[in-house]
Formats: sequence, C-alpha cells, structure tokens
Amino acid sequence: MKTAPNIPDPDAFYEALLSASEGLSEAQREAFLLRLLLLLANQVGDQRALLEAIAAARAMIDAKPR
Amino acid sequence: MAPALATGGGYSLPVFPYHRPAELAGARRRHPVVVVGGGLAGLTAACDLASRDIPVVMLDEDDTVGVRGASSRGIVYAQKTLEIFDRLGIYERIAEKGVTWSVGRVLADDDVLYTFDAAKGSFSKVPPFINLQQFYVEWFLVDRLNELPKAELRWKNHVAAIALAPDHAMLTVETPDGTYELQADWVIDASGLASTIRQALGAAMAAELGEDRWCISDVRFKKALPAERWTWAKAHFNDGRAVWQHPMADSVWRLDYQMGANADPQQIASGEVVKDRLRRHLGETEVEIVWVGPYGYRTQLMENFRLGRVFFIGDAAHVMNPFGARGGNSGVQDAENIAWKLAAVLMGAANENLLDTYNEERRAAAQHNIKVTGRTIRFLAPRSPFEHRLRDAVLDLARRYDFARALVDTGRLSVAYDYAASSLTTSGGLAVPNVAITHPDGTRGALSDLLRGPGAPFLMLCFPGVEPFATTNSSGRVFACNAAVGLLPIIHGDGLAALGGEGEVLVVRPDQHLAARLHRPDGTAVDGAIAKALGKVAGR
Repeated sequence: MKTAPNIPDPDAFYEALLSASEGLSEAQREAFLLRLLLLLANQVGDQRALLEAIAAARAMIDAKPR
Repeated sequence: MAPALATGGGYSLPVFPYHRPAELAGARRRHPVVVVGGGLAGLTAACDLASRDIPVVMLDEDDTVGVRGASSRGIVYAQKTLEIFDRLGIYERIAEKGVTWSVGRVLADDDVLYTFDAAKGSFSKVPPFINLQQFYVEWFLVDRLNELPKAELRWKNHVAAIALAPDHAMLTVETPDGTYELQADWVIDASGLASTIRQALGAAMAAELGEDRWCISDVRFKKALPAERWTWAKAHFNDGRAVWQHPMADSVWRLDYQMGANADPQQIASGEVVKDRLRRHLGETEVEIVWVGPYGYRTQLMENFRLGRVFFIGDAAHVMNPFGARGGNSGVQDAENIAWKLAAVLMGAANENLLDTYNEERRAAAQHNIKVTGRTIRFLAPRSPFEHRLRDAVLDLARRYDFARALVDTGRLSVAYDYAASSLTTSGGLAVPNVAITHPDGTRGALSDLLRGPGAPFLMLCFPGVEPFATTNSSGRVFACNAAVGLLPIIHGDGLAALGGEGEVLVVRPDQHLAARLHRPDGTAVDGAIAKALGKVAGR
C-alpha cells in the first residue's frame, strides 16, 4: 500500500470530491461513495494493496473510542 | 432383464431386486470394501472400485434411485465429473439423455449484466457442463455396476450399527429377511447428511444453518427458452430476490426462487403460491409442475474424513449450499480419490499411509468449496441493509462497466480442485484436462482411456526432447506425445501440446491429476515421482 503522496493535485482532487457530493441526500452520498470506492479499487488493481488499505481503514476506526 | 418401474412426480423410476444376502445363509467372509449408501457418491465409488477390479459390496436401504421417489436434487455435472463418468463408461448415456450447455447469463431484473461461454478455452473431450436429473445419473451407474463382475449391489440392506476393530469393521445390516453381520477391510460411508455410521462413531459435525430460504419448481411448459443457465441476482418478478433458470432432461426446467429469510416452507411450496410465482416469471403459458421443493441450507464439515477403517465421502463428510453445483460434483471427486487409493493399497502397490491423504486432499477441497459457496450466498443474501446497498452498487456498476461484472457472484461453477498443497504432488496437483487424442492404433479417444483399470495405473506423457528412461513401476503406462521418443507408442492430439512442453514428462495419477512435471528426467526421477504420489516416504 502506497502511503507517500501520490495524487498529482491533491487540492483539486479534494475539491472535486466535495463538489460531486453536493446537493445529495445522505443515502445518495453513501451510494456515490460506494460506487466511487469500487471504481477506484479497480484502478488500484493490486490485491495486496487493496487488502492492506481495507485493514488500515478499519484499524483507524477501531483505534477510536466508540 | 428390464427393471420394474415405479412412477412418481412425472417420472418412471426403476425398482431394483432385493436378493437374500449370503451371510444370512451362514456365509462368513471378509470383504475388501463395503460402500454404504447408493446415492451419487456411493455408486461412483463402487463403480470406480469395481472398474479397477476391486471386489466391492454396495449396501442401500432403498431399492430405487433418487431420494424417496422423484425428488430432483442435483442437476449440473461439471467437466471433471463428466471426465470421471467417461472413464467409468456412462458418459455417452449422460450426454445422450442430458442437456449440454456452456453459455450462462447473469441478469438483474431485465438487464443482462454479462454472458459467459465456458466452452471457450476448454481442451477437454467432454463439455463444460451437462444438466441432468440426479436420479438418471444414479440409474446409469447402477446399470454399469450390474455389468461389472466385481460389484455386488445389495438393495434394502440398512446399516444399523458398526463396530471398528484395528484391522477391519463389522457392520450390522438389517434386511427384509433379518439381520446379519458383514465384515469389511474398509468401509466407505456415502450415506449422506444423516449418516448413522458417523453418528454411531461419535464424529461430531457442527452444523451452521442458514436463514436464507429457496423454493425449487421443476416444470414443463410450452414456451421456448434457450438451453442456457440464467441467474438473476435480483428479479422484479420475484420481489427483488434471486432466481435460477436451468434446462434439464425430459423438457423439464429447474426454476429456483430465493424466498424471504426464514420463510415458512409449507407456505412457499403451496399450490396457488407456486402457480402465482410461475405466472409472474413465465407469463401466461401452460405449465406442468413436476416437483416442488422448498429448502434451506446448512454448512457442515467433518474434522477428519477418515476414522480408522471408515472413509466418509460426499454429504456424509461435508455439506454446503448448492450454489455452483459443488455438492454432487465434489462427492463424485471424493469417490474417485478414495477409490484409486484403496485400489493401490489392496493391490499391494502402496502402503496404508496413502489412505490418510484422502482426508488431506478432499477435506481441503471441501473447505475450498465451503468458502466459495459461502461468498456466493453473502452476495445473494446480504446480511444487513448496508451489505444490500454495497451489493446494489456492484450491480449498478456492472450494467455499465466490465470490471464490476467480475464482482457479481451468482455461484462460481464447480471446477476441478487442484491438489496444490498435497503431500503427494510436486507440480500444483493440476487436474489434467481430458484432451481428445488419437491412440497409437489410430482409434480416436481421450486421455482418460489410458487410465482405465485394473488397479491404479499411472500415466507418463513424454514430450519431444525427452531421453528414453527405464521405470521400475510395473503399472506405469508410458506414451510419447505427438512425436517419437525412443520406441514409445505415440499418441497424437492438438490438446496434448497445451499440456506439456519440450523435454517434459508429465506423471499423471490414476485420477488424472498431475503428480509431477519433470524436465528431461531419468528413470530414478520418474520412479521417485510415482513413489511420492503413492505416499511412500523415503527410507520406508
């Protein structure tokens, strides 16, 4: 899993992410994120990186008190 | 003599004759192998053993095929299973009676998400799949067994008890004429989920019951549908749940509908409910209902498929949900695996420690199948609203993008399990495809012809560039592929070229799995590969 910066224009990416989710209900926002997630997973195309990313994201949630 | 016929559910089924067993007249003898249970796995095991010239007694409590008459059970026979049936001599009848297919379509409501053709890239002489009601396959196996002098079929023989001794097993068998004791060197228990032998031996098999409910309707109708496997991940005509549509013999279609979680089996199988469901699916067309079967499913796996003198095969050893047709097909492969190993031991070619590898290889296959079918059901029956929304995102993407089609899991169809981790194999344990060949005498056939019994013969396929070698294995059968290697008989075939390359020798086990892929070996290397594949440990 890559953790060094790899997004060419981070600010523009973040802005695009916000713009695309504007005007959506919570349910639509989740639907949007799930589709985005699956599209991006296919761009990664590296099983080990995908599994490491899943584990890393989950570990961050688990580390926070509920 | 043509068998008597019993009818039920629109089918005519054979009734097999009961004969008074010799033991009831005082006979006492030790049988090398007794198979308990005349279902798909048990009959295959008996047929495989008898084909290998091993005397076998098969006990079944019933006197017909199928389960209590005409229930449908399994319908899809996959390539490896068909290859085994080809070796056992019943493939032609299955091909003639069944529906050969290779095209599958996966749908969501009215959209075809993707189409596959399993025939593409297949080198086998047999097709990827044939659909046929399970009882026909069992019937053909019985007919074949009746032709084999080493097989004795005992119908209406119910095993009530078992006692294990270090060197044999004693079965207590009930018949219409009374109870007798039957001694066997080895017992193959193929008596299914409710095995009394497994329970009598105290072998726990923890069950995991699913909440998902399905209802099969086997029907005939006038409407013409393509001979393809159609699976709906969700269908509006089934309230957004999954549906299966499969052709089989006698113009009968298997329509299998996913029901609500924990649905009442009686309600979902009642006449009007079934008819209404069929109308929503097929429209207004004349429908003849052959059989209706509501079901839930379970997952069960024995800790060890061998207990002393007893080997457990098929549903007696493992139960999984039906997606991908992995239950019946894995039972047939269990049967083949134990059959050649018992034959090798009984003929003196291997030591008894070979038999432990039955559990090693087939339990790994069962674990794999349980994993694969478990993933399918989690896709088809999401466990939470979130899982449902994630699944719907996949279906939504699959309508538009190729990559997401790979994530749509409506059952990963049964393929041969490669014994990669087996202690008997060195080169991946690949299931060698049953490629079409021309024999040295010019007749046409397939690789499996070279592996027919008696005993448990190994096959050595030698590719151009191999130096002639001398093997000490007397049951080995050595052939040159497509070009001369020394004075070896030559087999020809386009498919052979895909199996091996320059300078390679493929050592193929009696079950057509690859024991080893050797490069320009000498006789010692070939002997070593066969010894390893027979479970012989160096120094013993």
